[in-house]
Amino acid sequence: MELAHNLALGFGIALTPANLFFALAGALIGTLIGVLPGIGPIATIAMLLPLTFHVEPTSGLIMLAGIFYGAQYGGSTTAILVNLPGETSSVVTCIDGHQMARQGRAGAALAVAALGSFFAGCVSTLLIATFAPPLALVGQSFGAPEYFSLMVLGLIAAVVLAHGSVLKAVAMIILGLLIGLVGTDGNTGGTRFTFDITDLTDGIDVATLAIGVFGLGEIITNLSRPQEARSLVAQRITRLWPTRDDFRRAWPAVLRGTSLGSILGVLPGGGATLSSFAAYALEKKSSPYAAQFGLGAVEGVAGPESANNAGAQTSFIPMLTLGIPGNAVMALMIGALTIHGIQPGPQIMTERPTMFWGMIASMWIGNLMLVIINLPLIGIWVQLLKVPYRFLYLAILLFCAIGVYTVSNSPTAVLLAAGFGVMGFIFARLECEPAPMILGFVLGPLMEENLRRAMRISSGDATIFLQRPISLGLLIAAAALCVLVALPAIRSKREEAFQES
Amino acid sequence: MSGTTVERTTLLRRKDVLAGLLFVAVALIGLYVSRNYPIGTAVRMGTGYVPRLLCWLLLGLGAWVLVQGFFETQSERAASLSATAAWRPLVFVTASLVIFGLSIERLGLVLSILLLIIVGAAGARGLRPFETVAAAVVLILLSWGIFIVGLGLAIPVWPDW
Repeated sequence: MELAHNLALGFGIALTPANLFFALAGALIGTLIGVLPGIGPIATIAMLLPLTFHVEPTSGLIMLAGIFYGAQYGGSTTAILVNLPGETSSVVTCIDGHQMARQGRAGAALAVAALGSFFAGCVSTLLIATFAPPLALVGQSFGAPEYFSLMVLGLIAAVVLAHGSVLKAVAMIILGLLIGLVGTDGNTGGTRFTFDITDLTDGIDVATLAIGVFGLGEIITNLSRPQEARSLVAQRITRLWPTRDDFRRAWPAVLRGTSLGSILGVLPGGGATLSSFAAYALEKKSSPYAAQFGLGAVEGVAGPESANNAGAQTSFIPMLTLGIPGNAVMALMIGALTIHGIQPGPQIMTERPTMFWGMIASMWIGNLMLVIINLPLIGIWVQLLKVPYRFLYLAILLFCAIGVYTVSNSPTAVLLAAGFGVMGFIFARLECEPAPMILGFVLGPLMEENLRRAMRISSGDATIFLQRPISLGLLIAAAALCVLVALPAIRSKREEAFQES
Repeated sequence: MSGTTVERTTLLRRKDVLAGLLFVAVALIGLYVSRNYPIGTAVRMGTGYVPRLLCWLLLGLGAWVLVQGFFETQSERAASLSATAAWRPLVFVTASLVIFGLSIERLGLVLSILLLIIVGAAGARGLRPFETVAAAVVLILLSWGIFIVGLGLAIPVWPDW
């Protein structure tokens, strides 16, 4: 009963007053930014990342994780009531969720979304607790060549599963890798791409890059678009509990959504958004009520909402066990670990068991808090939707500015972030996804280090990556993905998967 | 001749053409800046080994994106970098942050936030002067409460003279 012992250890950590407070803070902030369109979990976590330096690493991680899965709860509220996705992972929830609301069944839709998310949260917390330790053991047996190949596979898979042009996404990864090299080379002591600016010799912080590209870039992009009209379903939400028929039809969809989301979350490039799109497609194809989809089918809410929460949580598995981020939020989590001087990787579980298990246990507690935050207190969040974006962005702008200043207490970081903001805006206009860039940025130094070590082991023979069986397998998988995505049939399917609405 | 110029301008407005040019430009700048970095050998990699490798990769990928953009047939994929009024938020949001960065250590938190909000508010339409001032007051109090009182960050609150 290793698992029970570990979970008991975790709950002991997660239930301390301080950690309960940070879990609650994360859940509240997550719900808030989930409800509000125009700000997502990536920008929020980037803004708050520097502040976690002032608290215990475990508490900081608990809060940041809470923001990510809390946003999945909050996002559905806006989707159902306003027909506007609070988060990209709630885009498909708009379709049937808002129809239900217009038929006077907003309460039922909100309850199904929250309860489905809670179920998915419980299952995926258990999945992490079960599968993380064996995976970390596998990771511990990896040498430098295996790690390098694993990172190559992770990056390739991340762009294949993300949406948009694969070619541009790969170019964005390389760009991220290059930005990651800025600063002093740890091996030779030489400086690279610092342009003789002293503040750049320590490199660029991941928070600076993410606040610029995601936080400021999003503000500029949002402001340059005409404001969308919000059609809040005005009537009071009277009946929060779904009918028996709703329950009967929703629970199989919740099960399917949870399974699909849990699997897709573990894959690099997976996570909340992909999971919810895939779950909606699955429900639409498999449901006996297929004709009702788009007209307020409860499965169309239950499936994707369970899937996005499951996917958000299982995407922690590769980050916690192998140190490989599958999406931009996980890249920031790695940044949070590095702020505290913790080397991400398989050794975290054995070297810092209290942090590892405390964080996992806090996920279940956080989910429990979120059901309460989102169901009985729904009225408060609805009020928040009345705040116009022209006030909201001023607050976001300020938090970006202070957040980036506190990264290193240097004005240079603020100026850099302003530059990255312009960059983020240009990328958005050119349809270049910034998420792969962040992945490349975080993995850049690690990849270089492992490449160097591997080449030293093999005395400069690059075929070492093909001679080691595990490394070869990982590279073959990466190559296979590249070939697959180039096939016309797969390519059209991939585009279809992201164009559900 | 006029036909080719029209074609050239529309080509330059395609998203993939612009993205390709951007990647190629970054790669070329990178190669230029890193021209004197010692490369070393595969066994003992120098400072410049990985950066130059990545720049060449980016150059190749950028060229590929560029060529794809040239042969792109969908006309609706033209970028609208200049067409809409994007310059307004772009200029004011960026300027507000630059001003904040330059003033925070000299003028302190309260005055820098005030400047940030005033300049930043110019980036959006429809924000009335009264609303801007009200928002600034609320946000100054809020951030003073969170960052100075709550977290005890060592940021100067007022200009010191």
